Amino acid sequence: MFDFWSIVRRFLYMLFVLWIVATIIFFMFRLMPGSPLTAFIGTTFTDEQHDLLVKRFGLDKSLFEQYTLFIVNTLKGDFGLSFTYNKPVINMIIEALPNSIILTLFSLVIAYIFGVIAGAYLAWKRATFIEGFSIPIVLTTRSAPEFWLGMIALAFFSFQLDIFPSGGTSAAGVIYETTLSKLTSLHFYYHLILPSLVLALYLQGLPLLLMRSNMLEVMQEDFVTMSKMKGLSSWRIVIYHAARNALLPVATAFTLGVGFAFGGNVVIETVFSWPGLGRLLVFAVSSSDYPLAQGAFIFLTAILILMNFLADLLYLFLDPRVSYKTKN
Amino acid sequence: MIAEIYKIFKENNYATIGVCIYLFFILVAIFADLIATNDPLRINFSSSGLARNLPPSWEYFLGTTSNGRDIFSQLIYGSRNALAVGLSAALAVAILGTIVGLISGFYGGWIDNLIMRLADIALGLPFLPFVIVLAAFLGPSSWNVVIAIGLLLWPNAGRIIRSQVLTLRERGYIESAKVSGCSNFRIIFLHIAPNILPLSFLYGSIAIGWAILTEASVSFLGFGPSDVISWGYMLQDAYSSQALSLGAYIWFIPPGICIVLMVVAGFFISRGYEEILFPKIKK
Amino acid sequence: MRKKLIAIFAGLISSLILPFLVSSASAEEVRSMKLWAREQAAGPAPHTAALIIAQTLNELGLDITVNAVPWPQMADQVWYKRLDEDTWDLTMWQMVSRPERSDPDEFTYNLFHSSTAEKGYNFIGYVSSAYDELAEKQRVTMDPDARKQIVDQAQQLLADDAANAYLVHPLLNFAYDNTQFKDGSAIEQAGLGIKNIWTYLNIEPINGNNDLVAQSLDEIQAINPFFISGGTDSWITEIVWDRLLRIGPNGTPQPWAAESFNWVNEQTIDVTLRSGMSWHDGQPVTTEDVIFSFEAPMDAEMVPMYSPFVKNIDSMEDMGNNVVRFNLKSSNAAFLTSTLAKINLVPKHYYGPIIDSLKGTGNNAETIIEEKRIGSGPFKFVDWRQREQVILEANSGHFNPPKINRWIMKEIPNVEAALGMFRKGEVNFLTDYKGDPAVLANIVEEDGDITLVKSVDVGFQYMAMNHRRAPFDDVNFRRAVSLAIDRDVMVNAAWAGNAVKAGSHISPALSFYHKDGITEFETGIDLAKKILEDAGYTVKNGRLHYPEGVSEKH
Repeated sequence: MFDFWSIVRRFLYMLFVLWIVATIIFFMFRLMPGSPLTAFIGTTFTDEQHDLLVKRFGLDKSLFEQYTLFIVNTLKGDFGLSFTYNKPVINMIIEALPNSIILTLFSLVIAYIFGVIAGAYLAWKRATFIEGFSIPIVLTTRSAPEFWLGMIALAFFSFQLDIFPSGGTSAAGVIYETTLSKLTSLHFYYHLILPSLVLALYLQGLPLLLMRSNMLEVMQEDFVTMSKMKGLSSWRIVIYHAARNALLPVATAFTLGVGFAFGGNVVIETVFSWPGLGRLLVFAVSSSDYPLAQGAFIFLTAILILMNFLADLLYLFLDPRVSYKTKN
Repeated sequence: MIAEIYKIFKENNYATIGVCIYLFFILVAIFADLIATNDPLRINFSSSGLARNLPPSWEYFLGTTSNGRDIFSQLIYGSRNALAVGLSAALAVAILGTIVGLISGFYGGWIDNLIMRLADIALGLPFLPFVIVLAAFLGPSSWNVVIAIGLLLWPNAGRIIRSQVLTLRERGYIESAKVSGCSNFRIIFLHIAPNILPLSFLYGSIAIGWAILTEASVSFLGFGPSDVISWGYMLQDAYSSQALSLGAYIWFIPPGICIVLMVVAGFFISRGYEEILFPKIKK
Repeated sequence: MRKKLIAIFAGLISSLILPFLVSSASAEEVRSMKLWAREQAAGPAPHTAALIIAQTLNELGLDITVNAVPWPQMADQVWYKRLDEDTWDLTMWQMVSRPERSDPDEFTYNLFHSSTAEKGYNFIGYVSSAYDELAEKQRVTMDPDARKQIVDQAQQLLADDAANAYLVHPLLNFAYDNTQFKDGSAIEQAGLGIKNIWTYLNIEPINGNNDLVAQSLDEIQAINPFFISGGTDSWITEIVWDRLLRIGPNGTPQPWAAESFNWVNEQTIDVTLRSGMSWHDGQPVTTEDVIFSFEAPMDAEMVPMYSPFVKNIDSMEDMGNNVVRFNLKSSNAAFLTSTLAKINLVPKHYYGPIIDSLKGTGNNAETIIEEKRIGSGPFKFVDWRQREQVILEANSGHFNPPKINRWIMKEIPNVEAALGMFRKGEVNFLTDYKGDPAVLANIVEEDGDITLVKSVDVGFQYMAMNHRRAPFDDVNFRRAVSLAIDRDVMVNAAWAGNAVKAGSHISPALSFYHKDGITEFETGIDLAKKILEDAGYTVKNGRLHYPEGVSEKH
C-alpha cells in the first residue's frame, strides 16, 4: 500500500527543510542592526561586564564558528541561554509549549466540530434564506482581525458581563504543582474558554466550507435522488457519504491547521495574557533576546513542518487514489 | 477575459458586492485629501489644551484620539495604506506565483525540482512569527508584510498554476506551436499564460485579505511603523491608549469594520471566481 | 523618503549655487535633525511630548523630525554609538525611580561626571571640571547641610549650562481596592509612591481578604539575590531578602536587619546585626552570613551587577557581639544608601556552595537556577509560573511581619487587561499603571471603592542633547532649545496634568536635596529667539544659520 522507504526519505527531507529554516533564522538574527546586548542597558552596566557578557554568549567568536556551534547545540537540544532570563531557552520553551498546544487543539476541536456540523446543515439548506444569510457571516468571521475580536470579547464577556476571567491560565494565587495537574484542572479550562472561542470563531470557516462543498457534491449524485424517491431517510445517506468524502480534506485541513494556528496564536496569546510560545516569541523579539527568539521560532517551525509531514502521511493513508510514489 | 469578468458580475452577487466595496475604498483612498477634514498625524489643540478624547463633533466627525488626533481623518487615510499593502501583496503573489508556476510546469526537470524544494521551505516558515522577525530585522515598515507575503505565499499559487501548466502543456495547440518553431518564451507567455491568468487573479485576491489582516496584527503587536496611519495602527493606538476603558467605541470599532469589509470583499471576489473556475460547486 | 530627497536636493543646490551668489556670507545652515523617541505604545506621554517639542523647535528655524523607534534601536544609537561621527542629536530619555536613587549621589555623579562620559550614564557628553569637583565633593561630605549646599550648586550649574532640557517629574499612580484593604493603610514613600515595602508590611486586609494581588506590565526575568534585570524583579528581591538598612518612607536610610550603626570615623562604620533573626529555612542569621553577603559581590565576574556597590569596601571584620566593621577605601556619604541598603543578605550555607560550584564554569551567579530561594525577608518565596504570576507568603517569624498572608503578583503584559482585572477584583492593588491617568481617574470615580494615591516620582523625563556635536556644544544654543519648550504645555498637554515641572535631576519628592525654585524659569519661543539672536545665530529663508565663522565641523 505504501512504500516504507519513501516515508523515511520524506522524513529526512523534512529535517533538511528544518535545517535550512534554522540557518536562515540564525543569520537573520546575527545580521540584525544594533548590538545584541542593548537589552541590558539601564542597569549599572560597566565595560568589563559588557565584555564578559559578549564572551559568555559566544558573541566574540566568528560568525562561522557561532553557526557551527549553534547547529551542534541545536542537535543536542541546547538552544543556549536566554539573554534576558539567564536561563536555558529550552526550559522556557518546554514551560510554554503545553499552554500553546492545549489552546491550539482545544480551539481547533471546537472549530471543527462546529464547522463540520454547520457545514452539513448549510448544505442541506441549500438555496434558502438561511444559507444566503449564513455564508457571508462565515466569510466575515474569517475576515475580522483576531485581536480585534479578542478585544471586543474581552470588553464584553469579561469586563462588562464578568462571565469569564480576562487572562492568564489561573486566578491569582492558584498553584499548579505540575504541568499535569494544570492540564487536568477545571480552573485551567475555565480560563481557556474565552481565548479558544475567539480563536475557534476564526478557525471554523474552513471546515464549514469544506464540509458544505462535499455535501453538495454528494447530494447531486444519482443515488441520493434515488433514495429520496424511495422514501429512505435521505439525510442519513447524505451524511454518511458526505462524511466519507469530507473526511480526507477535513482531516488534512485539521492537521495543517495545527501547524498554522500555532504560529497565528501569537496575537491571541498577547490579548489574553496567555503564557504560550507565541507570546514568548513576541517578548523575545521585542527585547532582542536572540537565543530565546531563535529557539521559539525554530520550535514553531518544527511544529509546522511536522504537521505538514503528517498531513502528507494522512493523505497517503486515507486516500486510496494516491500512492506515495505517484505523488512524489 | 472580459467576457469572464462580465459573467462573474452577472451571475454572482458576492463578487459584485466585493468589487463595489473595493471601488468604494479605492475612491476614498484617491480622494482622501478632499474627504479628510484634518491632517491625520497632527496634534490638535483646543482652547483648553490638548484636544484629547473629544466626542464626535462637526470639527472631528469621529472625535479625537488620546493624542489629540482626528480619528475620522485617520480612518480615511488608513484606506491608502490598506490598499497599498493589499494590492502590492496581491501583485507580489500573483507575479511570483505565476512566473514560478509557469517555469516550473513548463520546463520541469531540475528547475522544477529546485523550485518545489524552495516552496517546501517557504511553506515551512510560520507566517506571522516570520513577519515579526522580519520586522525586527528590517525595522518597522508596512512593506515587511508585503515582503513576507511575497516570500512565503507564492508556493500556494505556484503549485496550482504549475499543475495547470502541466495539463496545458499536453494540449494539442501547444504541441503545434512547438512544432511550428515558436520559442519557449513565446509559448509560455502567449499560449499558456493567458489560460492561467484567472488562477493568478484568484490567488492575488486571496493575498489582499491576508496582507491587510497581517499588517493589522503586526501593528497590534507593536512591530509596525508609528508614523504611518493604517487601520492596524489605529487599533493598536486605541488599545494601548485604553479606548476600551474609555468606552471610546467610536475609536476602535470603525477601523475593525473597515478591515473586515476590505478582507471580506477579497473573499467575495475570490469566491465568485472560484465558482467560475471550479464549476462543480456551482449551483 | 520624499522629504529626504528634497533635503538632499536642497543641500546640493545650496552647496553648488549659493557660494556663487553669496560668496561673502559664510553663515552655515544648521543641519536637519532627528529627535529620537520610543514608539508611542511604549509611553504615550513622552511620545506626544516629542511631537510637540519638534513642532515648537521648528518655529526657531530648525528642521526636526521625530524618529520613533523601539528601545533596542534607540539605545543602540544613543548609548552605544555616542562617539560615532554621525550619531544622534536629540533624544527623549528618562530616569526611573528606585529606592537607592533617593540619595542624590547616583544621579549627581553618574549622569554628569566626566568620567562616565565615554561609556557610562553621561551619554550626553557633558564635561565640566567645575561640575566634576562638585560631584566628587558631595560624595565625601558627610554633613547633610553642607552636602545639600553642594548639591544645590550642582543643580544650579547644570541649569546654567543647560545640560539637559528637563521636562517633568511624572506623577506615580497607584490604586487599591478599599473594600479589601483598609483605606489609608498604605504608606507613601518619598518619590516612590505607595508601591513599596512599607505598604506591603502595613497594609491591613479587611472583609476576609488575605492576599495582596499586585500586577506588573513587564515580565519578571529573575528572582535572584545577585541579579535583577529591571525594576519589576527588584520589587520581589527587595521583600524576600533583607538588607542591613532600608530606605524609610521619608527617603533616608534607617536600621533594618542592622539594629544600629555607628560611624567610628569617616572611613569606618560598625553595624550591629539584629539578634534572633532566622532564614526562611529556619537557620539563624549570623554575622558570618552578613560578611559573606558583602564578600560574594566583590567578585565582579561572579556577581557583576552588585560589584560596583561594594567596590568601596576595603575589608570587613567580625567584632563579636553581632557587630560587623566595614573599613572603607574612601569616605562616602552615599554608602548607607547605595551599599548597606542595597546589598541583599543571603545565607552562606545555601548560596556559598552554589557560588563555589559555579566558579570556573564560565557561568556566574546571575544564571543561578534555584531550587529554593532563601532569604530572611518579611516574605517567603512560594511559586513562580513564568509570564503568569509570582506567589510569596508572609514570614510570620519576621521581626516586622506583614499583615497580609500572601503577596501575589500577576504578570499582565498590557495595561488595558491589567486595568480590567483590577476593576473586576482579580487584582486588588494596581502597582504598575503606565496608562492614561485620566482613564484611571474616571474609573476611580465610577467605582467608588478605589483609593488612588498620586505621588511625585524620583525619576524624571527629559530631552537630552548631544554635547559632542555642534550646535549643542554651544551653551547658548542649548539654552535656547531648552527655554523654547513651555513646561506648562508639557505638563498639561503631553502628560495631561499628571506630572510636575522639572528643572533639575533632583525631584521635589526629595524635598531636602531639591533646590528650591529651580523649576521656576521663563520659557517661550520669543525668549529662545532672542537668545539665539544675541549669540549671533540668524534665520535665512526660514532656516536657522550658525553665527558667522562657526561651522558644523571643527
